[in-house]
Amino acid sequence: MHADDSADSRIIEQLRNRDPNGIAAAYDRYGRSAYALFVRITHDRAAAEDLLQELFLRLWDRGVKFDSSKGALGVWILSIARNLAIDHVRSAQTRFSSRLRSMEHLESLCFGDHPSGRESRITDVRSIQEAFAALSADEKRVMELAYFEGFSQSEIAANIQEPLGTVKSRVRSALGRLRVALGGNKKP
Amino acid sequence: MTHAEMSEVYELYALGVLEPEAAAEIDQHLRDGCEHCERHVADAMGLVAAMASLAEPESPRAQVRERILGVVKPQRQRPTRNWMYAAAALAAACAALIIFSVSSRSELRHMRERLAALTEERDQLRSAVQILSRPDTRAVGFGRAGNAPHGRVLVNRNGGFVFVGSQLPELGSNQTFELWLVPASGAAPQPAGLFRPNAQGDSVHVSSAAVDARTTKAVAVSVEPSQGSNAPTTTPILVVPLA
Repeated sequence: MHADDSADSRIIEQLRNRDPNGIAAAYDRYGRSAYALFVRITHDRAAAEDLLQELFLRLWDRGVKFDSSKGALGVWILSIARNLAIDHVRSAQTRFSSRLRSMEHLESLCFGDHPSGRESRITDVRSIQEAFAALSADEKRVMELAYFEGFSQSEIAANIQEPLGTVKSRVRSALGRLRVALGGNKKP
Repeated sequence: MTHAEMSEVYELYALGVLEPEAAAEIDQHLRDGCEHCERHVADAMGLVAAMASLAEPESPRAQVRERILGVVKPQRQRPTRNWMYAAAALAAACAALIIFSVSSRSELRHMRERLAALTEERDQLRSAVQILSRPDTRAVGFGRAGNAPHGRVLVNRNGGFVFVGSQLPELGSNQTFELWLVPASGAAPQPAGLFRPNAQGDSVHVSSAAVDARTTKAVAVSVEPSQGSNAPTTTPILVVPLA
């Protein structure tokens, strides 16, 4: 197990025991990443702080049910953070219908019955940053729109005024290269 | 979809950009318990979550951590080997507190008022967490950063609602903010609670009033006399549409 994995396991045990030190440790470990993500998506530091509080209160509420053998804390925190932020932006911009997964669905994906061992990827920051830097400008653009704006591929195509097929090709190519950079196979 | 076809789209699925029909097919496949796909979706979720590191580094203000840790409290205490020392220290602290309090009646009264305020705030935040944790709670944001009022309204059809506001305007000593539920039917707004923000203009107010977003058009806030009103007497400073 990666050293970082054992840190997450310890935090999960604290959360399961309703120990506030678990929230403090989770905040110290992931709070800045989540906040940076909130700021990037909302462009609003005040909203980002509100969302950060909402995120960790949600973690406190749900953490008692987490199982360190069945999930990845960092994946949960950053996946929920992304959903919260995009949902916040869309609630203010009614031009988008909400297409996001429900929080409950997302949580079940992060803490389902699959084995854990994915936390280390969250800490493998340099690899993904280097891989992203190596993408073409077109690939970066579609990935930013998909990840930070929560756009569907059709919405991306409309936004950059390119054919849907071109967008799909760029998204798949970019994801494939990121996957390889994080140690996955090109095709599982 | 075959497994080979699914293997092409795990990351698209995790990113949330897969077409709805294909995503629904994978959802069902996961519900059916395919361990192979669960593993690969978990990998894909990890990859997508790692993309958070592409955001420019930012640090929240230290007060946010304090605010969060001020809300979460242990629900069960485990005895430790040092509990006797802790108990003795607590007793000494209580004794010192009593001596200090008795030495000044005004201090005692002030501390009681402060304790009552903190207890009320704690109860409000606990209620807020309960509403927040309900799966059918909806969050609606309002306002933008800067000096303008902004925040969120968390609405639950059965459990009430939470109003979280920042940068709220200053009130006169004989004034209060009053929350209103604005019916979609056009009927008169219904009072939903009074609150005063802190010195920084921040406020968290929890109302147990049931809010059905199908019949309630908006949540509004107006400035009212300190005892509150049965109907708004001033133009609302905020109207947050729930639709």
